[in-house]
Amino acid sequence: MRWFRFAVLVSLVAVLQASLLADLNIKPDLLLILLVFFAIYCNVSKAIITSFTIGFVADVIMVGSAMGPQMISFGLFGTALAYLHRVITIRKMPYQALLIFVTGFLAGLLAHFLGFLKGEPTTPNIYAVLLGTSLYSSLVGPFLFLPSAWWMRIRTDRLGRR
Amino acid sequence: MLFAWLMLAGFIFLFAPQSLTNRFQFAFIRVFRWPLSVGRNISLLARTRQPSTDVVSRREFNKLQNLLADVIQQRDQKHEELEKLSGLRKRFPLEGANLLSAGVITAAVDKLRSELIINRGQKDGLAKDQFVLADNSVIGTMSDVNSRTARVRLFTDSASNIAVKIGKLNIERIMRGSGGNLAKVEMIKQKVRIGTEIMASKKPGFLDTPIIAGRVVRCERNAESPLLWDITVRPVCDTERLNDVTVIVMNP
Repeated sequence: MRWFRFAVLVSLVAVLQASLLADLNIKPDLLLILLVFFAIYCNVSKAIITSFTIGFVADVIMVGSAMGPQMISFGLFGTALAYLHRVITIRKMPYQALLIFVTGFLAGLLAHFLGFLKGEPTTPNIYAVLLGTSLYSSLVGPFLFLPSAWWMRIRTDRLGRR
Repeated sequence: MLFAWLMLAGFIFLFAPQSLTNRFQFAFIRVFRWPLSVGRNISLLARTRQPSTDVVSRREFNKLQNLLADVIQQRDQKHEELEKLSGLRKRFPLEGANLLSAGVITAAVDKLRSELIINRGQKDGLAKDQFVLADNSVIGTMSDVNSRTARVRLFTDSASNIAVKIGKLNIERIMRGSGGNLAKVEMIKQKVRIGTEIMASKKPGFLDTPIIAGRVVRCERNAESPLLWDITVRPVCDTERLNDVTVIVMNP
């Protein structure tokens, strides 16, 4: 694992998410895509570290919101995905898309629930927002795996059961 | 073990005071201020349509309309004062206020949040709850102030509630943000026309004259009390395309 490259990639994605994509009503969650990418292409311990780090960054870019919900939910689901990947290898794009969709929806629900516990305001149409974000992320995500793998010097063609 | 430690860190962040954890978020804004501004400008540029040569742009038109509404409101207020003829010299609205211009570093206007981060802070005299203007209209209030940056909570944010005056009905209500660039005023006794102006009410120490905030886009019966009406308000200013805003610092 090249941690410097990881830091650059996560910083770049965070800036993109907080600036270029911030104003869009319909937007993919690039950090969620990275979460799934590292969870299925890294070994378990690295996947845990990257999941919590990406969750922390997701909290940081949401200025004004409570910190912690994204870190916990991303960490939890990233770890679960990493363990799942030891049993099932997910290589085909449709499966990767499905994985992003399910992870995005569940992680979003948990983050929303944790935010609610902290006293964050609730959004009435939260399910629609989560479904929309997860859907767009799942459509874009598998196509971003290849450039991410190239940048991280990770081979995506090998069998990944560890 | 690693998982347990990181999970613990997550819960510490979750239950730590928000004033403390906000420092991380403001630090991110400070460190990445330049790329964030560039990214936002690119996003704005991509969505800006070329104006036709023989008409004034929609933004300019809205800005002038807002100014007109504000001036009419101020004129009405002066009329009321003149009618009372108290004999005391009164100040003109916003005469004692410092209008501080601030650049928008980044904005998040979606169904979940409606916020702006601006490049002014405590050192420039900003404080919590001060009103923020754009295109001659109120867009929100200061919700968090750091030394050099601050967060503006737009009145469409689901956590926002500000006192407003509804057009010429002269009734005051609380307007609550509902996300998706809309806000709601509930439980009004009479039906309100679409397009009616919604003015942010005077607030001693923060705003000394009503200023336009939005217009009514929908008026429908309240689900629980069909005799009452709920109105939906849209900002008169295009908050998604703002490059700079003005903060009202009263009696600096």
